[in-house]
Amino acid sequence: MKKFMFAAFIAFWSSVATLLAVQAMSPETGLDGADGELPEFTLADVAKHNTLASCWMAIEGKVYDFTDYIPKHPTPPFVMEQWCGREATEGMRTKGYGPDHTPAAWAMMEPYLIGVLAD
Amino acid sequence: MKVNARLARGLVWALALVPLMFFLAGLAAHDFRSVSSVLNMLGRLTGALGLALLLLAAALSARVPGFDQPFGGLTKLWHTHHLLGAGALLLLMAHPLLLALASAAHGYQLPVKVLFPPLDDIATWSGWLALILMMIFLAPSFSFFGQPNYERWKRIHALAGPAVILALVHTFLFSRTMPANLDILIWSLFALLGVGAVAWRLVFSRRAGRLNYSISAVEAVANNVVELTLEPKRPDKHLQYQAGNFVYMTPLDKQLSAGCGEEHPYTLCSSPTETKLRIAIKDLGDASRAIQSVRPGTEVQVEGPYGRFFPVNGKPEQPELWVAGGIGITPFLARLRHFKALGQAANVHLIYAVQDEARALYADELRDLAQAITGAKLTFHYFYREGPISADFLLETCPDLSQRETYICGPLPLNKLVQDHLRGLGRPRYSIHTEEFELL
Repeated sequence: MKKFMFAAFIAFWSSVATLLAVQAMSPETGLDGADGELPEFTLADVAKHNTLASCWMAIEGKVYDFTDYIPKHPTPPFVMEQWCGREATEGMRTKGYGPDHTPAAWAMMEPYLIGVLAD
Repeated sequence: MKVNARLARGLVWALALVPLMFFLAGLAAHDFRSVSSVLNMLGRLTGALGLALLLLAAALSARVPGFDQPFGGLTKLWHTHHLLGAGALLLLMAHPLLLALASAAHGYQLPVKVLFPPLDDIATWSGWLALILMMIFLAPSFSFFGQPNYERWKRIHALAGPAVILALVHTFLFSRTMPANLDILIWSLFALLGVGAVAWRLVFSRRAGRLNYSISAVEAVANNVVELTLEPKRPDKHLQYQAGNFVYMTPLDKQLSAGCGEEHPYTLCSSPTETKLRIAIKDLGDASRAIQSVRPGTEVQVEGPYGRFFPVNGKPEQPELWVAGGIGITPFLARLRHFKALGQAANVHLIYAVQDEARALYADELRDLAQAITGAKLTFHYFYREGPISADFLLETCPDLSQRETYICGPLPLNKLVQDHLRGLGRPRYSIHTEEFELL
């Protein structure tokens, strides 16, 4: 058992190192760090995209287009649909009943970022 | 007896599955929709099950005299504790990796962002810290970097406390392993078990659970073995025990070169009818070396009794085969002394395996006991003359061994060898009882 545990221990750190290496080598995607160049939208703009066919949300000052993501979300589509076209920070922070989304979920939003909310 | 031990162990493992059952009950179709969602689900599952095993391992670490009995003794209980700890580490290492991999479906940058979020993400970082502490405090338990020294291992293992607390912080902050608030309830109950056990350990076993004795005699049995005789400080507060039990003894002599104030496990070799305790200690490490020259009059604390090597209400007419190696003679010596003290007849055959005549501990006393007790037979086995014990040797010296329950106590290689022979001779596992004194 000692050998097996040691092998698992090494395998764990090797996997973490592999993930770090893959990340270091893959080209930076998304619009990270380029907030200044992102288009600005008002809540009125966001409100036009309030269906599953085109679903935008404003979350913590940023605007996301989740149209392609909704089929991948763990809940049935109507759960996210309620937030389409709206300021949806509350939905993200509380899932509608209490607990915040995980850091994984927050990180997953980045590819869907399309702009920032106008003041 | 053995069925009981299996039941007790089975119950612990069943308890570990309780959070898993609630977790499974909360699963829905979308958890199986894609590779990513399955990985994510498995990531949460390994987290929940790993935490359950960790908290149960913590709960079993409480050393409560008597609590080890249904498990077949403290060493068996620790075996379960050890397996729970190994299971917890494996699952909790898989947990972040699975969650990180699951996120790769949404972008190759994501796994690393999931694993290493911004520093203000207390939930994730408390989980990381707990896992790294686990690796540190379990590394010596699985000899990652060589065989540890007992006291250092013990100090490092105390990091389990903060690790458990951080793991709970991590879980409560996320609280998404089970439906709704169930998980707060279930983890609180598990946490109570684990934390309660550690509190018990710190308060009870350090204070209320220890009896005060003083060393009244120190006798050299061999050049590296002494027998201590301990006298209770208050005659009404003395240890009640069974022959073959062991205790944790803490010497309180600052002049000892090592081990003052440290507790170490030793088998009692006196008959429970004696008011004084006798303990034979072989020089196996710093503390047991220092105790070889302890002075009479030294105060010690004794905690116990632990262990359930022999059946609690064993019948003396039950035929038994005993195999002892080296200092592993102590529980058998205790039993023989007890038979003699009670004037009871026995039905035992003791094979004592040692390197050579000079290393046969208590040889004269054992011969006298074997002669004085009706039904006790004694055979010495000398390694230098006969090599390792063989199955033929066992059959020749004890032709009716198939009718006997076997008790083995000695170094692990001997222990394993004799078990293999007996299994090879068709003896069922439940008829073989072992006492291991190598706890790691």
